[in-house]
Amino acid sequence: MNAEALRLESTEASPPLLRARGLTKVYGSGPAAVRALDGVDLDLYPGEFVVLLGPSGSGKTTLLNQLGGLDVPTAGDLWFGSLNLARASEAERTLYRRNAVGFVFQFYNLIPSLTARENVALITEIAARPMDPEEALRLVQLGERLDHFPSQLSGGEQQRVAIARAIAKRPAVLLCDEPTGALDVRTGVAVLEAIERVNRELGTLTVVITHNAVIADMADRVIHLMDGRIQHQRRNPQRVPPRALQW
Amino acid sequence: MSLLDLKLWRDLQRMKGQTLAVALVMGCGLAMLIMTRSLIHSLETTRQTYYRTHRFADVFVQLKRAPRSLVPRLAAIPGVAAVQPGIAVQVTVDLPGLDEPASGLVRSVPEDRPMELNRLFIRRGRELQPGRRGELLVSEAFAEANRLQPGDPLTLLLNGRRQEFRIAGVVLSPEIIFEARPGVSLPDNRTYGTFWMWESEIAAAYDLEGAFNHLTLMLAPGASAQAVCAELDRLLQAHGGRGAHARADHPSHVRVSDEIFILRTISIGFPTLFLAVAAFMTHAVLMRLLTLQREQIAILKAFGFTDAQIVVHYLKFGLVMATLAAVLGTGAGIALGHRLVALYHLFFRFPELHFRLDLAAVAVALGVGALAAAAGVATAVRKAARVPPAEAMRPEPPARYRPAWMERVGWGAYLSPAARMALRNLERHPAQAFFTVAGLALATALLIVPNCFRDSVDLLLGFQWDVVQRQDLNVGLVEPNSPAALSGLRRLPGVLAVEPIRAAPARLRFGPRSRQLAIVAVPAETLHSRVINKHWRQLSLPPSGLIVSAKLAEVLGARPGDLLEVEFLEGRRPVCHVPLVAVSEDLTGLGAHMELQALNRLLGEGDRVTGASFTLDPAQRAAFLRALKDIPQVSWVSIKDSLRANFRQTTAASINLIQRMYLAFAVVVAFGVVYNNARISLAERARELATLRVIGFTETEVAAVLLIELGILTLVAMPLGLLAGSGFATAIVEAINTETVRLPAVLTLRNYSFAIATVATAAFLSALIVLQRIRRLDLIAALRAPE
Ligand SMILES: Nc1ncnc2c1ncn2[C@@H]1O[C@H](COP(=O)(O)OP(=O)(O)OP(=O)(O)O)[C@@H](O)[C@H]1O
Ligand SMILES: [Mg+2]
Repeated sequence: MNAEALRLESTEASPPLLRARGLTKVYGSGPAAVRALDGVDLDLYPGEFVVLLGPSGSGKTTLLNQLGGLDVPTAGDLWFGSLNLARASEAERTLYRRNAVGFVFQFYNLIPSLTARENVALITEIAARPMDPEEALRLVQLGERLDHFPSQLSGGEQQRVAIARAIAKRPAVLLCDEPTGALDVRTGVAVLEAIERVNRELGTLTVVITHNAVIADMADRVIHLMDGRIQHQRRNPQRVPPRALQW
Repeated sequence: MSLLDLKLWRDLQRMKGQTLAVALVMGCGLAMLIMTRSLIHSLETTRQTYYRTHRFADVFVQLKRAPRSLVPRLAAIPGVAAVQPGIAVQVTVDLPGLDEPASGLVRSVPEDRPMELNRLFIRRGRELQPGRRGELLVSEAFAEANRLQPGDPLTLLLNGRRQEFRIAGVVLSPEIIFEARPGVSLPDNRTYGTFWMWESEIAAAYDLEGAFNHLTLMLAPGASAQAVCAELDRLLQAHGGRGAHARADHPSHVRVSDEIFILRTISIGFPTLFLAVAAFMTHAVLMRLLTLQREQIAILKAFGFTDAQIVVHYLKFGLVMATLAAVLGTGAGIALGHRLVALYHLFFRFPELHFRLDLAAVAVALGVGALAAAAGVATAVRKAARVPPAEAMRPEPPARYRPAWMERVGWGAYLSPAARMALRNLERHPAQAFFTVAGLALATALLIVPNCFRDSVDLLLGFQWDVVQRQDLNVGLVEPNSPAALSGLRRLPGVLAVEPIRAAPARLRFGPRSRQLAIVAVPAETLHSRVINKHWRQLSLPPSGLIVSAKLAEVLGARPGDLLEVEFLEGRRPVCHVPLVAVSEDLTGLGAHMELQALNRLLGEGDRVTGASFTLDPAQRAAFLRALKDIPQVSWVSIKDSLRANFRQTTAASINLIQRMYLAFAVVVAFGVVYNNARISLAERARELATLRVIGFTETEVAAVLLIELGILTLVAMPLGLLAGSGFATAIVEAINTETVRLPAVLTLRNYSFAIATVATAAFLSALIVLQRIRRLDLIAALRAPE
């Protein structure tokens, strides 16, 4: 199935949430320049669960950072509705991140001086239409560890707090960069379940980077990156729940 | 370059600002140390060489008149190596350009033999020519103040007769490195000078042929000055000897020694403070650097680097800072030292006063700098060596936190998440918070000291010239006279009030201690030269008995009620026992006061005065001074405004220069400490702050997290700093307690406000820099694995 067909097929459902055209990111200049992204065209739809695969250095993180409004591309456009993130000001991108994007990182990046509840509340206090921090934590099965500090939580629990923090603002987009990279299989499954549940119950567009091809079976769509380009993508006939993944 | 050194180099480049801040603070301390130590060294060695090459005498005595035939007997006193009899007389000088009378001391140059002691240094022109009359040499300070050149004419009143002279040369003498009218602590070089002429010429004018009235002696090594003085006094008693004294009572010598003493006090107090702050900062920087590099250290150890290698690696950080500081400090110390030395040349007259680098001070400075750095590194490095290699294999465990006490007591609801992060962070790292507060407090404290110095000098001047001396000027007569002599002066134009003064040279003795000075007597209820107690109230002079200044009482070890022996050194030289009735406040020199009648009774010469103080109608002041020049009995005049102006140009200028240098250093340090602290906090929290930015916090919101914390620390530190600064300032300023000058520590609101404003400005600017850095924070890096 080629990319053009994929796009056509889904466009019929609803317009894309994020639309990249000729997205290019070059690091450095001259002979040392690295084309981390090289003309990526990509449409991402509401409610989709997308897995990004590709060898190390292929540009996955770079793409995710672009989608999250952390960085501006060297060339090309990236539309979120009518907002062109490629041309947006720092303040506009901050607002975009604040209201529309949830991030989950490989190393959790929780604020160690705040409890689980406070880490989540940090976001709910500034977001436009947040959910209750406790509700967000219940969604990731952490309703009982509200007042624990990060140092009192396991890695998997910390990552689930990070997910709760990311989704408490009811983001349109949830971006996860190797969310299970630092976790063992069992804990990883719990984290993936939380992500999957958020995607299913809140209808959040979810993009997950992973090195683990098995996880790709969870996705609606799997995109392979290679040297900063989309090498190929496929659509899974059906999503496999995390618990049933074959490791 | 080894790979560890490459890492050192890269790390240092990343920490440019902090490295420089530490080096600057340390450099300031070193510069100060080198500057003052070198100045002391320059003054001491120059004076020593000058004394030696120009044979500065050890013992001095003024007398009425003694025959030359007495000299061999004086030279035979055991312990005397050389004697130089001569003539010294007070004269009035008529300077056409000057509206007021000037005066000075004329000294003799022997014609029949070389000058044995206190040899002159010819700055310009030439020596006196043998056989030529009507020539004289002029002291450099006086010549410069009045723009006199060799070849210029100069009119002196010798024994009441006007005589024209021509200036042969401008000279220096080891006796007047500091030149001022006797008994005056502040110089006015325009109206007072020293002159030298052929002995026969003065002898003729004063009927002193074959006689001498001044004697200087050099002692054999190891001889006792006290014994020689006693013997001299005995032998010269019949010849009107005014009491022999050693160098310790020589005005110029004492003045230079006091200045060196003051410099020494400053050279210890200030740099010690600065270097303490620097050691502190180095410690803080390295401690926190090591915390940031915990994992790196663990990895290095996992790779097989030994503890020793790692310790050396981090010690190098300290050494780089210390080296940078040494370079900056030595450079600045030498440059500023040159300026200071040039300034000292204004009021200390040496043939040559060159800046001489005190190599010992540089060595000490380097040692202290390295030690400060090493002390800073020591604890930090020990901690580093203890990091187990296994740490590297795990991702960084989140630091342990708990609710702050404000939340534990139930106030948590009022706190924003940013405030909560700040408070918990402070509680989580109490040692770090303590050190930060201590550093900021020290920075505040440093600012207090130089300004306290300035305010104290201001107070001193106000005390001296507004509280004690209410007159406009003092006039001295050629010799003690009857009060009728003043009636002529009273009728001069513009005189509003006149008060008589009787000054009598005397030696005050209590037990084994004694001092030689002039007892000043004025009417009991005087309006001019007032005697002030320590509450700054005027003391009325009792009908009998002495009031001495607090410092003199301290020097003599006497208290009110004690009986002092007063040996008058002129006239019939009576020796009396006079009760000490009260102690007065006096911030310069040593003072002893009596009621006029009481003193005259003791002297037994009837009603006598030696001078008077005047209040004048300002409009007629010039006319008064011009008229004064024509009155032969007048020997000298000292004008308050001239002294004050002169003081501002010399002593005050030097104090101000030093004060401004120190203040500049203190400001640099305040900025260094505050900035450094902000940078370190930023570095430590970079990941956390970047995460906040990523999840949607604005730059300002993120900055608030950091700035609340820094703000709390700064607010806590400032009052502590003021307190500590007051303590340091009092200790350093009040250590300046010499017979020449005593400084009371004055702490003003202005001083405190300046310190607060400076630290607040530093904090504000640092906050701006932090904000700038937050703007440039690498968001993407924060998402990667922790370094
Ligand atoms: N800040 C940067 N400066 C220079 N080059 C960069 C920078 N960030 C990434 N690159 C380069 O861009 C390319 C893509 O990097 P990116 O981090 O997107 O890869 P990735 O697919 O996420 O790899 P991995 O699976 O290892 O995380 C790489 O060649 C990388 O070296
Ligand atoms: Mg990546």
